Amino acid sequence: MTVEQKVPVTILTGFLGSGKTTLLNRILSEEHGKRIAVIENEYGEVGIDQGLVINADEEVFEMSNGCICCTVRGDLIRVLGNLMKRRDKFDYVLVETTGLADPGPVAQTFFMDDEIRNEFSLDGIVTLVDAAHIDQQLGRSDESSEQVAFADVLVLNKTDLVSDESLDILESRLRDMNRMARVVRSKQAEVSIDTVLNLSAFDLDQVLKRRPTFLEPEYPFEWTGVFSLEKGRYELSLEEGPDPTMSLVVLEDQGIDEAALNAGAESCVRLYADSAELLHPGSTVPIEKHVSLQLQSNERKSFFLELDNPTHIGLFTQHTAEEFDIKVSRIDTLITTTESDGKNDALVQPETERTWVAEHEHDDEVGSIAIERIGDVDPEKLNKWLSRLLSEKGVDIFRTKGFISYAGESRRMVFQGVHMLFTAQPDKEWGNEPRHNQLVFIGRNLDEKEMCREFDKCLV
Amino acid sequence: MPGVEGFSPQGMLHEGWSAEVEDYAIVCGWTLGGKALLVGDVAGGLYLFEGKSGSPLWQKKEVHKGGLLALSIHPDGDIFATSGQDGRVLIWNSEEGESTKVIELGDGWVEHLRWSPDGRFLAVAFSRRVHVYGIDGHEHWKSGEHPSTVSSIAWSKSNELATACYGRVTFFDVVCDEVNQKFEWQGSLVSMALSPDGDVVACGSQDNSVHFWRRSTDQDSEMTGYPGKPSQLAFDQSGTVLATGGSDVVTVWSFEGNGPEGTAPGQLSLHTDSISSLAFSNHGMLLASGARDGSVLVWFLKNNGDGDPLGGAFAGELVSAIAWRPDDCSLAAVNSKGGLTVWEFKMRTKSSPKGF
Repeated sequence: MTVEQKVPVTILTGFLGSGKTTLLNRILSEEHGKRIAVIENEYGEVGIDQGLVINADEEVFEMSNGCICCTVRGDLIRVLGNLMKRRDKFDYVLVETTGLADPGPVAQTFFMDDEIRNEFSLDGIVTLVDAAHIDQQLGRSDESSEQVAFADVLVLNKTDLVSDESLDILESRLRDMNRMARVVRSKQAEVSIDTVLNLSAFDLDQVLKRRPTFLEPEYPFEWTGVFSLEKGRYELSLEEGPDPTMSLVVLEDQGIDEAALNAGAESCVRLYADSAELLHPGSTVPIEKHVSLQLQSNERKSFFLELDNPTHIGLFTQHTAEEFDIKVSRIDTLITTTESDGKNDALVQPETERTWVAEHEHDDEVGSIAIERIGDVDPEKLNKWLSRLLSEKGVDIFRTKGFISYAGESRRMVFQGVHMLFTAQPDKEWGNEPRHNQLVFIGRNLDEKEMCREFDKCLV
Repeated sequence: MPGVEGFSPQGMLHEGWSAEVEDYAIVCGWTLGGKALLVGDVAGGLYLFEGKSGSPLWQKKEVHKGGLLALSIHPDGDIFATSGQDGRVLIWNSEEGESTKVIELGDGWVEHLRWSPDGRFLAVAFSRRVHVYGIDGHEHWKSGEHPSTVSSIAWSKSNELATACYGRVTFFDVVCDEVNQKFEWQGSLVSMALSPDGDVVACGSQDNSVHFWRRSTDQDSEMTGYPGKPSQLAFDQSGTVLATGGSDVVTVWSFEGNGPEGTAPGQLSLHTDSISSLAFSNHGMLLASGARDGSVLVWFLKNNGDGDPLGGAFAGELVSAIAWRPDDCSLAAVNSKGGLTVWEFKMRTKSSPKGF
C-alpha cells in the first residue's frame, strides 16, 4: 500500500437555526482549492450547492458492553467507508450534524473504528451558536451544552440580533463552559475559512505550536481600570451591586500596555490570596492590600484614596466596573465642578480598562477545569489516577487536553482524550523552558478541588 | 500452526491473465456459466472479460451516477443486477451488456443486492427497508422500516430473506409477507453469513466480535477477541466451518460436534495485513483469502478449522474481491487500484481432496 495522507474531517454542530448550512455554503463557495465531500445529517430548507453531498440519517450505535465511549455513528462508518474508495474525488470532508446530535459518538467514530482511523483524521469540531437563542437552549437541553463543550471553535453567530453587552456576557458564559475553544463572532456565519478548516485541533502538537499556552489564565478579579492621577485625594464611589461585598486590590505605578497589565494581574493574584480586610464606606483604601468593600447600605457608597505623588493607579476589582458602577473622582475640585452644569468634571476616566476571565462559581453544569502546575509528574501515579478518573467519570468528561512534564522524560508529553478514550505521546524537547503541566477537562459536574488535589499527589 | 514451516508456494496458482479497469475495483463475478468475468469499479464502470483469454468483451462507463455500490449475478449467469449512489437498481443482460430494466428507489444509496437461489427474486436493501423484485423489475414485496439502515441481506431459502441491521437479524417470508424469526442483540452488525443448511446465522459486529444464532434452538453465542471488525465471513458449502476476517489471520470456527462453543478456532496466518476478502470454493474445503497487503492465498481446510496453504500469489494492492469460477479451476481477484488477476488453479496432490 502506498502511504497516503489521512483526509481531514471537520464536524459542524449547532442547533437548528444556528446557521450551519449558511456556513457550509459559505465554505463551499469560497476559493480554497479544496474538493470537499459533505455528509449531511440535517436536511434543512436551504440546499447545499455542490457536487459531492451525501445525505445520511444519523444512526447512533451503542455496543452490547453498554460503554458510552464505544458508542459510534454507524452512518458515518458506512458513508466514510465507501468514500475512502474514492479518495481521488475529494480531499476534505465536512459533516453537518443535526441540531440534536451528541458530538461524543461522532468524535469517537474517528478513534474507535480502525478502518476510519486509518483513512481519516478528525480535524476539529466547530459549533455554531445562535447568539439570540442559545441562552434558552443551554438551559433546556443537554445536547446544546454538550455541543458547546466539545467544540474546538465556537462561532457566536447572529451577533447583529443581540446587544454588545449581552454578547460579552454570553461569550464569558461559553468560555466558562469550554476554555479550550476559540470563540469567533459572526453575523451571517461569515467567518474566515482558516478559523474553521485545517485546525488540526486533535493534533495537540499543532495546537500548542500555535498557542503555546492554550489556556487563558483565570483570575480572582474580573476587571482592571488604570487611572492616571495627580497628587491628591480621590473618591471611589460605588452603587450596590449583585453582592454585598466586593474584593479590591489597588496597585501603584500600573502600566497600561498588555505586558504591564499581565504583570500587574500576576502580582494581584498573590495579594488576592491573602485574606481580605473588611472596609466600611468612608474608609481610606490602602495600597497593595486585599480589601473587601462593604456595600450593604442603600445609598451610593464612597471610599477614599490618598496620593502623595502623581501616579498610575490600577484597580483590580472582583467584579466589573459596570456591575457596581465604579467611579473615581477628584475630591478637592468636587464642589466647584458639580455646580456648573451638573456634569462632574472631577470624574476621572480610566486610561485603559481590561476584563479578565474570572474564576467563579459556574452556573452551568457543564464547565472546564484547568490544572496548571510547575514541576514534574510521576508517570505511573498520573496514569493510575487518570485511568481511575476516566473509568469512573468518563461519561461526564467530554474532552481532555493538555501537556505534562514526566519526571525523567526530556520531552513534553501531550495528552488528548474524548470521554474514556485517551492518548498520551511525547512531543518536543523541553530544552530551557521551565517544566510545567497544563491539563484541561471539559465535562459535567466535575469536582475541581478534588481533581486538583489528586493531580497534586502525582507531582514528584 | 502446523504446515507453516513447510510452506513454499507449490505452484497451485498459475498465472492466467491480468487486466486493468479504470478505478478502484469493488466487485467481480463469473457469468455465462463461467465463460466470462464481470468486474465493477467504484466509479460505476462495468467490464466483461472473456474468462480464458482475458480479452475484453464489452465495457460501460458511469452506469450509476456518483458510483457503483453493489453487484449480484443471477444464478443462471445470463443476467445480473447493479446498484449505486444514484438510488437506482439496473438489471443487465450479461452477453451484450445492455441494461434491460431500471428500478428507481429514490434519493439515497443502494448498497446491497442479492438474487434468490432459484433466481426468481432480487432483494434490494435501501436505507431501512428491503424491497424484493421479480426479474421483470416489478416489486413483489417490501419490508417495514428496520431500526437502522440495513447492513446485510442473504437468502436462506428461495422465499425467505434474512436482513441484518443495528441490533437485529430478521427472517422474512417474502411470499407470505411474514416475519419467520427475529433475533435481537445490542450491537452493530456489519456483516452476515448463513450456513448452507440455513440453521446458523453469523454476524460480524462493530465491537470486534462474531455473533451467531442457531435457528433451530434459538441459542446464540459470541466469539470475541478479534483485533478488528470481522467484516468478512464465509461458510464452506457443507456448513462445517466458518472463516472470518477481522485481523491479518483468517480465524476458522468449526461447527463439527458441539463446536464452535468452547473450542479453539483454526488460525491461518501468512498474510501480513488485515484480511479484506474471503471466498470458499463452490465444492470442497478450499478457501481463498485476500488481504490489504495484496496477497492472495488458497488454503485447504480440515473439518476442525485448521488448514494448510496450497498456493499463494501477489495481486499488488488491497484485494477487494475474490471469485472462484463455478468449476473451481480458476480464481479471480480484483484490487483497489483497478488491477484484475486471474489464475488457473490446479491441485497436484496424488489423491484429490475429499469432495473436490
